[in-house]
Amino acid sequence: KENCRPDGRELGEFRATTVNIGKCSITTADGSALVKLGNTTVICGVKAELAAPTVDSSNKGYIVPNVELPSLCSTKFRSGPPGEEAQAASQFIADVIENSQMIVKEDLCIANGKLAWVLYCDIICLDYDGNILDASAFALLAALKNVQLPSVTINEETGLSEVNLKQKNPLIIRRHPVATSFAIFDE
Amino acid sequence: AAAGELLSDEGYRADGRRPTELRKVRARMGVFAQADGSAYIEQGNTKALAVVYGPHEMRGSRSKALPDRALVNCQYSLATFSSAERRRQRPPAGDRQAAELALHLRQTFEAAILTTLYPRSQIDIYVQILQADGGNYCAGVNAATLALMDAGIPMRDFVCASSAGLAEDTALADLSWPEEAAGGPRLALALLPASGQVALLQLSARL
Repeated sequence: KENCRPDGRELGEFRATTVNIGKCSITTADGSALVKLGNTTVICGVKAELAAPTVDSSNKGYIVPNVELPSLCSTKFRSGPPGEEAQAASQFIADVIENSQMIVKEDLCIANGKLAWVLYCDIICLDYDGNILDASAFALLAALKNVQLPSVTINEETGLSEVNLKQKNPLIIRRHPVATSFAIFDE
Repeated sequence: AAAGELLSDEGYRADGRRPTELRKVRARMGVFAQADGSAYIEQGNTKALAVVYGPHEMRGSRSKALPDRALVNCQYSLATFSSAERRRQRPPAGDRQAAELALHLRQTFEAAILTTLYPRSQIDIYVQILQADGGNYCAGVNAATLALMDAGIPMRDFVCASSAGLAEDTALADLSWPEEAAGGPRLALALLPASGQVALLQLSARL
């Protein structure tokens, strides 16, 4: 055939991509984004919490990504604990964050050994039409750019943390990885 | 929790509404390609998504198929980022509240869908709450009705749901999350409006 795919695209062509950060934002999350790659729809919500850093990485915070492929996104997925594909996708996103150094964990530390941010990045697929990995990576990056963290100080006398919700700072994103998936078909 | 805080002296609620005023509703149908029917609804800040697959052959055990009507399979889930505090992922005992609400969804829609038209088959209704700001279950029911319409599944009537509460002696319609958390009695009602029949009535109150 003439190098044309079933939906009419060229071999190297991407589907129409839409990103929705402002209007569809989830106000209960600290940052959120909705990404559509053709029909594939993925939403990412980032929630930030405070925690104590571990002893061996006392100056590092945590980033915890999780990809969910619920039964509503496709008939392929049954309800219940996360299947192989969801777990593999979660690990992929964790690797992307780690290898690209898009967020340096030291930037998430508030007070060495005492307090650090934990960023829970929950990625939910709403409509599964292929290429979840690219869409998830994109949604994650868009949501992280949208995150506003309140400034936290530790009170010297009481040792307790004080969160100032009025003063918010965006996250420092050092690198912007863009995922592109390829497949080899026949030759 | 003070009922006095729910209603100001002039009779306005915390978000500026009158007692019987509903929040702004925005809805869209047919939002997803994979599903047979889908809908997205916003009631104020509560955002709910409903997706319908079916009617299709039974998945899983064929023995559960009903010989004279369709089986309605419902699932209700709250996204981890949907509430102000991040919800724990799937506690080991299973998410009981979600299971209870899924059961309520099934009871509600079994009353409305003409299941006798599709024996031995299954209709799946999945509700996902993206942002929970009060009236989550009711928004889910409304979204599910729209999704069923989008899927073209015959129903004897639409199902409309809303919540209600009480501030001293004044009834409040469509509670927001701060109003639900205030501790007064809360009512959830799912209605088939044309016939006036009640599909679900749930009242919770602290004694």
